[in-house]
Amino acid sequence: MSTIYKFAEVELGDELPNETPDVSMAKVTSFCTSAKHLFERFTDHEAAKKEGFPGAIVPGIMSQGLLAAMIHKWAPGCNIMSIDTVFRGSLLVDSNITMTGAVTDTDDDEMTAELDLSIIAEDGRTGVIGTAKVQFLS
Amino acid sequence: MLLDLHTHSVKSDDGRAKVENYCKWIRKKELPLDGFVLTEHRQYDAESDYRHLEDEYGLLILKASEVETDFGHVLVFGVNDELQAALDFRDVRLPIEHVLYQSHKAGAFAAPCHPGRKRVGLFSHYQEKGHVEGVHTVEVLNGGSIPGEDELSIEMAAKYGYKTFGGSDSHVVSRVGFCATDFPAQDIQDIDGLVNALEGGNFNAVSLRPTKED
Repeated sequence: MSTIYKFAEVELGDELPNETPDVSMAKVTSFCTSAKHLFERFTDHEAAKKEGFPGAIVPGIMSQGLLAAMIHKWAPGCNIMSIDTVFRGSLLVDSNITMTGAVTDTDDDEMTAELDLSIIAEDGRTGVIGTAKVQFLS
Repeated sequence: MLLDLHTHSVKSDDGRAKVENYCKWIRKKELPLDGFVLTEHRQYDAESDYRHLEDEYGLLILKASEVETDFGHVLVFGVNDELQAALDFRDVRLPIEHVLYQSHKAGAFAAPCHPGRKRVGLFSHYQEKGHVEGVHTVEVLNGGSIPGEDELSIEMAAKYGYKTFGGSDSHVVSRVGFCATDFPAQDIQDIDGLVNALEGGNFNAVSLRPTKED
């Protein structure tokens, strides 16, 4: 699907283009540094293993930010009114993850759309699910 | 009749799907489902009434539960007052034999879901603790499974002679109908009808997962 600029272009059932964001150690470390969210479980595979994880994990706030970025890439002019995520499993740093989204409801009067969001881990497990409500100005 | 026997709504703590949005999605996407069953985690939602949605969208919407046992998660269809009095649905370590016995006694139908999954699946516990008497049916197609899990479920169900069904285990709208259960030449109207159909054993698991060609 092409980029969405107006609410009239949005339809229930539309699927956002899948995204495969970069969650390399360099990117995650850069995010954690910028966000002042530096914990070894995010930035050091060995330290994360000592905490019981299979390796360093992508921070939840970064996952949510990546989902928000996917929404804005799909519809650059929309406002994200709310975004809600459920963390069901770890997303590993230096792995391949895939983000998906779909329009599950629309409100013509408010020019809003409700979206499903998910992030699929490399092994196929759904690591993050969520929803968002976005509003269009025209 | 094709039913998704395993879905979650916003009533589940990790569910983010509104029931009406499930209906809209099913109709918009022209999914072949005739209805779905809401299997909320660790509870039975006695209060919600979805009859107006059934009428508006022409779908059967039933309510059941997903409880947690010492042998993984179990779906219970036909929850009634007697069963609610006998089981603490909030308990995350219910003895599975107790769930199976009390469900049968109350006229309900209990069947383990995603049995091929680690920790929360029946068969991972079989490897450690042996098999459970009283299990007769398991979910072998689950929309949340990763590669290998459903295959293990199918293999083990065949080994133990269990009947098999499918459900999407959807927690968001767009995952509904990934897997379902076909009840050939049967007209299920309510939860009692579903329990009777499950007891009858004439059903099979169906995968409707989108493919790359879709």
